[in-house]
Amino acid sequence: MASNPNPPLENSVLRSKIREYARDQRLECRIKAKDSLRIGLGQVKKEVAALESLDTKDVLGLAGRIKRRKHATSEDLCRLSLAFLQGNDNINAFAAIPGAIQVLVKELTGPHIQRQIDAVECLCNLSLGDAHVSEKIASLAGSYMVTYLDGKEERLKRSCLWTLSNILATCDKAGRILLQMQLVPKCWRLYSDPNGCQEDAGICLFLVVTHCLHHVSAEDRSYIAKTMHDINPQESGSEYFMYIIHQLDIVGQDHELGASQAECLLHFFENTLSSPVESFNIIYGVRVMANLVAIGNPKLIGGLADPQNFIKALNQLFALRDSQLNMDLMRLLRNYLHLNILDSNLLLDNLQIYA
Amino acid sequence: MDSEALSSVFLSREQIIRILSETPVGFIKPTNPATPSLPPFKKLGVLVEIDEIVGDQEKAAKISDIRDKEQSYSCAECRRMLPTAHLLDLHITEQHDLYFAASVDRGDKPMFCCFLEECTTKFQTPRQRKDHCIIVHKFPANYRFDQGKDKPKEKRHPKNKSISMEVDEVPSEVKCFPYIKAFSFGHQTHRTFYTRKDQKSQGETLDDVQSLKDAINDILD
Repeated sequence: MASNPNPPLENSVLRSKIREYARDQRLECRIKAKDSLRIGLGQVKKEVAALESLDTKDVLGLAGRIKRRKHATSEDLCRLSLAFLQGNDNINAFAAIPGAIQVLVKELTGPHIQRQIDAVECLCNLSLGDAHVSEKIASLAGSYMVTYLDGKEERLKRSCLWTLSNILATCDKAGRILLQMQLVPKCWRLYSDPNGCQEDAGICLFLVVTHCLHHVSAEDRSYIAKTMHDINPQESGSEYFMYIIHQLDIVGQDHELGASQAECLLHFFENTLSSPVESFNIIYGVRVMANLVAIGNPKLIGGLADPQNFIKALNQLFALRDSQLNMDLMRLLRNYLHLNILDSNLLLDNLQIYA
Repeated sequence: MDSEALSSVFLSREQIIRILSETPVGFIKPTNPATPSLPPFKKLGVLVEIDEIVGDQEKAAKISDIRDKEQSYSCAECRRMLPTAHLLDLHITEQHDLYFAASVDRGDKPMFCCFLEECTTKFQTPRQRKDHCIIVHKFPANYRFDQGKDKPKEKRHPKNKSISMEVDEVPSEVKCFPYIKAFSFGHQTHRTFYTRKDQKSQGETLDDVQSLKDAINDILD
């Protein structure tokens, strides 16, 4: 008896619209969730059995094709990426073709995000090659990759960071070019922001201070010194923090540290003590603390100015019985005694240093 | 017994003092290469799967368009899409801000910011900025997001205008009309006005107009 409020035609239109919307949503989610698997040079042949084998001839054919058309399709870029993964010969063959990398750069700077991602992933695999290839990538595409680090698309940023890391680990000259493009402040900004790229940005900075330390400018160092307080020790990639700070000589005579920066360093150091971590992280943490104490301002060392806290921390670290660490701990102790905060005998009597 | 055992395990105060006297005081300098073993870094590529996303191509293209818009910074005025907020800021200021244009014309202080946000240097002209980016930051000469690219064209415009003004002053004999190509629309017979003919009889513009009208009327009839 009760009449249906909606006529059947309207119902079906509504249903089809909802279905269409759900389908679009699924497709959108699938595009966004598309992840990438990282793999080493030549490893792909062992790992993926059903892989299309691409040799130098194929690479030359693909390069000729993209050069002729002045554009590379997503499929071309994917096939080139696969070819680069399969061997250094393919990489060298592509890099030797004049104008081939420029086509990749053109796609990298085009208006479509997906094509940009495909291009940068292609460049990432190309960066597995030797130093001369890395140098070419840095000079032709480095400025764009560094620019994209400020962009919104996370996958693009991540792929750029991977490519930049490969370049930094390969070639000193390419590293210098990238540093001139202000790579350090851009990476530091990504490292400080909780945006999902901290780990990759941290690796990039780690490689900068390991391989290109002499190219890092005074401006870059002072930028890091000023913005150090933003770093959270709980975030991923924090294991590189003390190493970066120490190698860049941030806690030294050249930079004046404020209370907030010193507090950040102390916070990191306390975090290192409270959680089990690698010796690498502890050693550089102690070195940074030794330098912080060497500044000679008891206000900067916060809780460590209290002898009880300092003795507890030292005893905990001496208990690790690491000979390399013990030398740095002695330096820390010497600098601390130099501050003349308390009676040195009282401090020494409470120390437990293993013979 | 316990305290004795402990004292044999730990260093005595005198022993510590002796070690401390041998330890230098002050800053620990960064070591190059780093002394403790560093976490290893292995160069890795990306394994990309072709045809990862299966679905309607049109829909995928539509979603891709939406994504392009979402993930870029676009100018509300001219819809130009730029990859970073800084580049968009530069674009809006340099292309659409009249106050900025007036300040540039006045030329009393450098107005053009570097393409890199972290670099605080400012320049009088886009050309100076471009040179700075090429020399200092190693940018390519054809940097894609260069905002000052259109400036030389704008500079050329006034020149053309001045030329055209001069042309107006020149006696009408020198005037030359471009040759208008005849449109055939697929028909072989050309029905058009042969403008070169008109050049011969100059100074009789009113008569020419009249003759043109007559010709049009003939065609229409």
